[in-house]
Amino acid sequence: MAAIHDFDRRWIFLAMGVLVTTLYTLGSEKALTNSEYVDSYYATIEALPEGSVVMLSADFDPASAAELLPAYTATIHHLLKRNLKVVNVATWPPAPPYTREEFYRIAPMYGAEYGTDWTAMGFLPGDDVAMGNIGQSLRSAYPKDDVDGTEYDNLPLMAGLGDNMEGVDLLITMSAGYPGILEWIAQVGGRYETPILAATTAVQTPDLFAFYPNQCVGFLGAATGATRYLQLIDELTDGAVEEVKLENQKRMMVQSWAHMLIILLIVVGNLIYFFGAKGKQGAKA
Amino acid sequence: MKREIPILLTVLCGLTIIWSFFSNYPKADAANTELLQWALIFFSVAFILGITNLIRVSLKQIAAKHNDSAYKIILLVVMFAYLFIGLAEQHEWFGPGSLFGGPGDMTVKDWVYRKMFIPLQATMFSLLAFFIASAAFRAFRARSMESTLLLLAGAIVMLGQVPLGEQITGGLAPRWLAFLMVYINAAGQKAIIIGATLGVLATGLRIVLGIERSYLSE
Repeated sequence: MAAIHDFDRRWIFLAMGVLVTTLYTLGSEKALTNSEYVDSYYATIEALPEGSVVMLSADFDPASAAELLPAYTATIHHLLKRNLKVVNVATWPPAPPYTREEFYRIAPMYGAEYGTDWTAMGFLPGDDVAMGNIGQSLRSAYPKDDVDGTEYDNLPLMAGLGDNMEGVDLLITMSAGYPGILEWIAQVGGRYETPILAATTAVQTPDLFAFYPNQCVGFLGAATGATRYLQLIDELTDGAVEEVKLENQKRMMVQSWAHMLIILLIVVGNLIYFFGAKGKQGAKA
Repeated sequence: MKREIPILLTVLCGLTIIWSFFSNYPKADAANTELLQWALIFFSVAFILGITNLIRVSLKQIAAKHNDSAYKIILLVVMFAYLFIGLAEQHEWFGPGSLFGGPGDMTVKDWVYRKMFIPLQATMFSLLAFFIASAAFRAFRARSMESTLLLLAGAIVMLGQVPLGEQITGGLAPRWLAFLMVYINAAGQKAIIIGATLGVLATGLRIVLGIERSYLSE
């Protein structure tokens, strides 16, 4: 056991660093197989009639952007390509800059205009209370938008929406933790029967299996789910997400080898532990 | 009265929200919306309290020449500078984009966010990869039946989540992963969620009925 504790862990840091950097620099992409949950996410958006309103909640921060930003970008492409209207909200303070940046970049590709095709309402403090307020009355939660303080009623897209999620056909959350998908289910999905989709971080994904397919109609679990979804919409968006897809496929291979290294370290650590324990028993006998 | 008024307010607010949840009466909805608005205002005020407390604690440590004093000074300077820049840009104190027009098409606030905050947060999160690898080697031991099961489940999840795992197990890892997630994990999660929800319900009722008064420091 002493061997394990005496081992300088900087060697492990170095091994992980070299592995990830080398594979990311030289690595290749690999397509992933389909998943029921991702297919359901895709199919739910596809099933919406043109002009339907989707509330897209950015509930993440830069720490989880590596997992959630590709899913967010892909979802925006999919929604706008299908001529769906998007109301952006956020319950995490660092999220709105992502919303604005991604929409300003992607919306012109599909001729989507601010105010009629998409709106950015910004961050609302209060966690699940904020979610309850958004569900109960979007107008009282957001009297003005987050871009230039335009009044709610002067945004044509918002003026068509009522209280109790009236007019909102689907809610999608990019969920990195609390508050996130579980709170949206409790505060909005269950109460107003609004269908919910989610993209989640790896640590939050196991929570969703208990809610699929009733309370959460489909989900993108971590970078794996995002990559599968990008593969699905690549053709639909005429290659607009090709670059993000290839980048994610490459990252998945890097992640694969990082997982292998961790498994190898667990095995080696256990072998040292067991042989060390046996050696001690032998010495005592 | 110091006890009775808070309890009365709690009972009234709780009953109003429950009433709104289970009825379609418009006045109940309106009252609920109003209460939620108040709650949001309280949350916003809590930010101010948080900042005030942070300043108080930091100043105390700086005055006592604590080991972390330098960090506290940096914290306060950065916090006030960013707050000032944000307010100045929002309210155009120095004209639209004149003093605070940042590099390229970014404002200074955006520049700090994108070039400093995002990379710093991403770096902190990325460090996990190194610490998990080290912890896996040093602490993840099959000492008992439970820890062995945990180890096996962890290995299956790690293999099943990535394309290489699928490749080297001939497609078995994702199937084992699905079995673990859909049956064992979902069943366990549901049991925990139902249990926790019943607990929350009971605690909520105790608060609404004025039985639970720990929030009054009793």
